[in-house]
Amino acid sequence: MDSPTSFQTQIYRSLPEIERADAIVDRISKAIALGLLKVGERLPPEAALSEMFGVGGATLREALSELREQGIVETRRGRSGGTFVVNQPRTRTEAIRDWFLSTSISEIRDIGDEHSAVAAAIIRLACERAEPHDVERLQELARALVLAPTPEKRATADSRFHIELAVSAQSPRLANAEIRIQEETVQQIWTPLAVAFDPEQAAAEHLELVRAVAQDQPEKAQGLVLEHIRRNIFHLIDTKLTLGYSQSTQDAQ
Amino acid sequence: MIPDTEVVHSAQSLTSWIGGVSTGIKELSANVASLLERNLLGKAKVDKAALAGLDKLSQEFLAKNTYAVGAGTFFAHEFVEHGGQALEWWSRRESGAIGRLDFDQTPGSSRYYDYEKLPFFSTAAATGEQTLWGPYIDYLGFEDYILTFTAPFSVHGHFTGVAGCDIRLKDLEPRLMPILRAIPGDAALVNASNRVILGNSGRYLVGDRIKTGSSVQDRIALDVPHLGLSLIYTA
Repeated sequence: MDSPTSFQTQIYRSLPEIERADAIVDRISKAIALGLLKVGERLPPEAALSEMFGVGGATLREALSELREQGIVETRRGRSGGTFVVNQPRTRTEAIRDWFLSTSISEIRDIGDEHSAVAAAIIRLACERAEPHDVERLQELARALVLAPTPEKRATADSRFHIELAVSAQSPRLANAEIRIQEETVQQIWTPLAVAFDPEQAAAEHLELVRAVAQDQPEKAQGLVLEHIRRNIFHLIDTKLTLGYSQSTQDAQ
Repeated sequence: MIPDTEVVHSAQSLTSWIGGVSTGIKELSANVASLLERNLLGKAKVDKAALAGLDKLSQEFLAKNTYAVGAGTFFAHEFVEHGGQALEWWSRRESGAIGRLDFDQTPGSSRYYDYEKLPFFSTAAATGEQTLWGPYIDYLGFEDYILTFTAPFSVHGHFTGVAGCDIRLKDLEPRLMPILRAIPGDAALVNASNRVILGNSGRYLVGDRIKTGSSVQDRIALDVPHLGLSLIYTA
């Protein structure tokens, strides 16, 4: 096998405990959503669970406490106690709708401010450091966005493009910042809750970014990436206004 | 040009809501002043005994005014007994519980909260009137993105400190957005330095400065004394 690319080392880095807890939360939530575990059913005892998952007791308790916080399971004391499934996990769309309802416009603007700073630095470094094979790869990823058949896959393709752009800039810290921001917002951008987002235009902007990187034009590339993020943030704010305040116009009169 | 009825109506609603906050702060500072006059009994400096009951005033204010995330009193250092407590500030936690907020009060320390230099204190001290500071990031204080309303108070005829409250921008948004959304075009509430507090679209975002000269917009000054607020809108 070829030596791993910098992106691959980013993916396959060893898992911190918190991600193992997240993986357990994800596994149990999915099992409930698929009907493999039913509401009312009792989970195996903690010791058995941590042995089966191959994690320590602390990690397992972390996962169970997250599931309790999400209202999916409940732990009861006593002889007939244990951890019980009490609710279906929220669907992704519900979770994203909740995100819009609980996140203020000032917070969305602030995400955009941070993303602008990170993305501007990334694209300037990419202009200096990207090699021809990075450029080819980024072109492919930009096109993949148009081919993605569902909003979820578009979200994955979009974030993948931005993360690989960060990887081509050769800064692990900036790549991690980009990954964190993508995780925080990309599903919100693509899930069609109020206004659908146009993949053709996003892909065209990605291709323009790659062209500016290939031609080593940092000023132009930075301008393009800032405009690209501005558009994403405006889309998030529009969605927030529609979901959070669409009744207001009538109510206030 | 005469503004549309929606704009006039929104300006009135904003004035009435913010006027309510302003009145609440005025009452709080009057209550703080009379409590201190009673507690001090002619002493010149604020000591521990003088603070008795001040915590109650903050707690009551927060219980009554759910828009506020913090409330309390900051004293001018010259009126505080050496080594004494120079402030009494309470805030609402994520859980909803109300607790005392501690600030680093050691001059020279790297996290020293030098509130006498902050505009919510210094402006009120200099003008003797109510003031509004923000939107700002209250670094080393509440450490969030907030507005602070304060009113100065005097004890035995001397300016002694300010009483006021904090409102998170995040909490202000759902309260004022319905009013701004009733305006069909782009509109925003801006502070005395032309900074956006809240806009009704992506055109005006909180924190933006509206540059003078780029006046494609009209403006109605809000009739809340001393705060310098306006409603700007695209005609």
